Amino acid sequence: MDTTVNGEPATAPDPDAPAAGLIREGLGLTGTKVACGQGVCGACTVLVDGEPAASCLLPCSALEGRSVTTVEGLGGDHPVQRAFAAHDALQCGFCTPGFVVEAAAFTDRWRAEHGDTAPGRDEIADALAGHLCRCGAYQGIYAAVAAACTGAFDEDTGAEPPRAEAAEKVTGRARYATDSYPEGYWEAVLVRSPVPHARVRSVDTGALAGLGAVHTDLLGEDRTVRYTGRPVLAVAAPTRAAARAAAAAVRIDYEELPAALDTEQAGKPGAPQVYPDAKARRAAPSSNEAAAVPARWQGNVRGPAGLGFRRGTAVRRINEAHARGDRLLFAAEFSTAVQVHTPLEPHACTARWDGGELYVEASTQTVDGLARAAAQRWGLPLDRVHVRAHHVGGGFGAKAGLGLETVAAVELARLAGAPVRLVFDRAEELSDAGNRPGTRTRLAMLAGADGGLSALTVDSWGDGGVSIGSSTAAMAMLLYGRSPRRVRDHDVVTNRPPGSPFRGPNGAPMAWALEQAVDELADRLGEDPIALRRRWDGNPKRRALYDTAAALPLWRERPRGPQTGRFRRGVGVAASNWPYLLDPSARVELAVEDGRVVARTATQDIGTGVRTVIARVVREELGLEADQVRVETGDSGPVPGPGAFGSRSTTSVGPAARDAARSLAAELAGRGAGGAPVTREALKSAEGLRVTGRRTRDRRGPLTPAVNGGVVAVGRGLAGALHVMEVEVDTLLGSVRPLRCWAGVASGRIYAERPARNQAEGGVVQGIGYALFEQRVTDPATGAVLTDNLEDYRIPGIGDVPDIDVHFHREGWEHVPGGGVGLGEVTTVGVAASVANAVRAATGWRPLDLPITPARLLAGIG
Amino acid sequence: MSAPTDVAAAAALLERGGEARAGGTDVMARAATGAAAGPFTDLGRVAGLRGIEWDAEGAARIGATTTVARIAADPALREAYPALTATAAALATPQIRAVGTIGGNLLQRNRCWYFRNPAFSCHQDGGEGCPAREGDHRHGTVFDTSPCVAPHPSSLAAALLVYGARVEAVRSGETSVLPVADLYDPADGARDHVLAAGDLLTAVLLPPPAAGETAAYRRATARSRAEWPMVEAVARVVRDGGRVVSAAVAAGGVARAPVRLPEVEAALVGGAADPSAAAEAVAGLPGRCSPLPGTRYKAALLRDTVRDVLERALA
Repeated sequence: MDTTVNGEPATAPDPDAPAAGLIREGLGLTGTKVACGQGVCGACTVLVDGEPAASCLLPCSALEGRSVTTVEGLGGDHPVQRAFAAHDALQCGFCTPGFVVEAAAFTDRWRAEHGDTAPGRDEIADALAGHLCRCGAYQGIYAAVAAACTGAFDEDTGAEPPRAEAAEKVTGRARYATDSYPEGYWEAVLVRSPVPHARVRSVDTGALAGLGAVHTDLLGEDRTVRYTGRPVLAVAAPTRAAARAAAAAVRIDYEELPAALDTEQAGKPGAPQVYPDAKARRAAPSSNEAAAVPARWQGNVRGPAGLGFRRGTAVRRINEAHARGDRLLFAAEFSTAVQVHTPLEPHACTARWDGGELYVEASTQTVDGLARAAAQRWGLPLDRVHVRAHHVGGGFGAKAGLGLETVAAVELARLAGAPVRLVFDRAEELSDAGNRPGTRTRLAMLAGADGGLSALTVDSWGDGGVSIGSSTAAMAMLLYGRSPRRVRDHDVVTNRPPGSPFRGPNGAPMAWALEQAVDELADRLGEDPIALRRRWDGNPKRRALYDTAAALPLWRERPRGPQTGRFRRGVGVAASNWPYLLDPSARVELAVEDGRVVARTATQDIGTGVRTVIARVVREELGLEADQVRVETGDSGPVPGPGAFGSRSTTSVGPAARDAARSLAAELAGRGAGGAPVTREALKSAEGLRVTGRRTRDRRGPLTPAVNGGVVAVGRGLAGALHVMEVEVDTLLGSVRPLRCWAGVASGRIYAERPARNQAEGGVVQGIGYALFEQRVTDPATGAVLTDNLEDYRIPGIGDVPDIDVHFHREGWEHVPGGGVGLGEVTTVGVAASVANAVRAATGWRPLDLPITPARLLAGIG
Repeated sequence: MSAPTDVAAAAALLERGGEARAGGTDVMARAATGAAAGPFTDLGRVAGLRGIEWDAEGAARIGATTTVARIAADPALREAYPALTATAAALATPQIRAVGTIGGNLLQRNRCWYFRNPAFSCHQDGGEGCPAREGDHRHGTVFDTSPCVAPHPSSLAAALLVYGARVEAVRSGETSVLPVADLYDPADGARDHVLAAGDLLTAVLLPPPAAGETAAYRRATARSRAEWPMVEAVARVVRDGGRVVSAAVAAGGVARAPVRLPEVEAALVGGAADPSAAAEAVAGLPGRCSPLPGTRYKAALLRDTVRDVLERALA
């Protein structure tokens, strides 16, 4: 079977194999990504005789005699590639090649038919409907495609792109862990439990030696599987087909146990026990970043873990208000669905051993943390462990620490004596790679006769499968001053896959309930919802956001009162806040190499723009041009850097980079080479100079000492956000369409404007997914995840997002060096609640359960 | 893989077993999970299966491997069969429409998340029982006519129903023609169409177009694009002056086969060709449904989607 790829002849050995495999492995053109394998996400899009096609579903036989163009074949200077870079139409970059290829074909066609005019949002959305961007960079994509169509990027403008690694990402050169196919590598697959609860009596791997495969056990001491899909062992063989055959040859004897497969059943007396005794309970995984607060267990229910201010007063006031039928008491039960992180790059690791040194290339949010954990687990000095993640295709919390994919690949690599590659398929990624636990939350909120917040009680039950540590109710401690409140958290464990931290863990489900309750009381008090929040919210930084939002035409001119037509519009608002975390151990090293300044730190860019942050700080401090600074992140090493979680990367490395740059300038000045701005001659004279900057201390220091090995401290102050969302509700067919969103963010100084804006836009997009579409569904009989593909697990597409206007309030963080803190999480926490309040404004119906599906909406509005 | 270049050779290859493959968008997705084992007979080089022909009376013959994108964009088809082209333009995604074919669309397997999951077995893959019926069947049928509860996924079939289209197939060396309506058996829980493994669907035959036709296609989805519909509906109205002379209405996402809705059609014929006629015509639809516990929402949604499509077709 002969074809042409990017102008070169190519031959496919297997006509039935998907073209994506030929392109990536056979030809080494790894710019073409495989993310869903089902033709849904578009990451694998290539042009076949100029027409976009999903190469994961295209048999090689269909390429016979045809001409294929991949992202590499576009050459890097297609107007669409320039426009994507200039408009920062990307974050992690994993979906970018697919978008770029499709958009290039669309742009060429559009211009041929319409000349150099900008298409509208609908035309662009129609053209790119077969692509998904989990980071939510759609705002930039709209702008980039429209601009490319006008001819604005026909010539190289010479302008520097707003993101340091933009060129690599728009050309497909950016290399991810899933692009690693080292010489002589073996492929690994996991053998997973087909039953939800069982003791594993025996594992017979006798057939493996004959098949040339190796295996490693993943079950642990108690030999018990507690959910369908739990990995039991991993096997590796020289090819994926051989590994699959070997996996199928393993015989496992399961002694099945009764299972608890939903929270309702699990909470009943006499329900099957997920954890039979204290020892098993102690080993339960946590869905949270911190260890779970100790709490009592009753069967499958753990808790309560309680917090509060004047708890007795709060409860008494609520009870009395209930008894007297006080209409300023709002009480309701809310629920949220399990949300799955769904990074487009799945969990992946390639591991190899070489002379007692361990080399790991992983899709990870924590190169440094992973190296430390690996060193500890395999008893190695830290300098013998080398973790690499130069580009990471999204994480959102699911890729922190030493993942099972790495454990398996490292063990198997030792046994195989070869590099071992383990990449989750989409079904694994959507089933057992972490999730945001579901919740059921009973909330009662009382306003006093004076219009103040009189009392609040919250009881929340987390639905994290076998994991514990839900602290949704606890997040209600962070907003609206110190008025009386009692908040209590529980877990209801079931025989289903464990949760893990997900962007704004616990905050998003809390905001869903809390911000709707505030809205409801504003309504009952007859007060503007922004004005009420401004009154109740003691946070001065967010107060500035309220003032700006209240003056927006989007808010002032919103429709009010009952509507009658089929399509109804509403505008809703929700506030959020988030703890300020930092990594006090973060360092940035600057070295003068080849006349340039090279910045190094063991952090990684998962799409957040941390490379760009470091580059900006160094350039600004030293007065350097773009070509004089290179940032090398994504390698573990002697310069510790933060993991990409807890919204703390920027505020940790920014000041460290500044500290390093100032040291470098001082050193140069000391050598008589002048300080900042640094001349090219000065750099040339300082070849080999090396300095390290530290994360300088906040004024008055952090609130808490650093924990988790010194890498996480809680700082003073809370980051804030306010979302004003406009939706259009189709009251006939039940869909909700977000039209416009104003996202106000109070996280202080912005280090890199466009990437920060992009991240805030992505927070809105993910919040809309949470609000309207996303819902993991499990089979009631087996607990197996049914939404294990991107068709059934629905994340927002380009046509589902509003026009987003991000506003930064840049003051209020003067006690933090650099003047700014993270915004990754606070920008998504309240989004779903703003959608709910907008739906309520449009229809009069308040959605209590997530997601707001058409079926629920139609039932709700009656 | 075999790649014949004429219909007879393709039919002969298919008789030996395996599956035909045109765009491959359904076959390859199932092959990835082991649900389609091959061998595959590629139809891409069979010239006689591709393209659109018109006879002297203005009736179209659409070759089975004509792509959905080609159908959506064909000006003559749009003029003659607007309900068909509107449906073609609305389904799936641009990349799928570019390679997916009309034959493949008609003969694709259902999208049930149990059937597509290799961990489960059911009527559809040679096993017993229906895990969806007992389990989570929120995307299932609302007309319960078969042991299987997966709705038929072909949008184009619904559109072809409103035209009374037929399909041409080579079966055991003989060419036969059957109405699209007979391509599916709503009582069959084991198969998604009635063609046997060795049969080759070669073309779709449309009757000559009617004058004065207006048509529309609508689907109810949560997201704006690229989602299998909860319910879809297609309507075709022929009017004379202000009166509806004939009406054809079909729905998908609701039954084991795409269905015509004769009661709705009857209520429209002879009445005013005006959007205000839609609401009354569809009022009885929920009562004719036989929903499953998890698909009750579809009874009203069917009514309202059909109402929406009629309001557009009658506008």
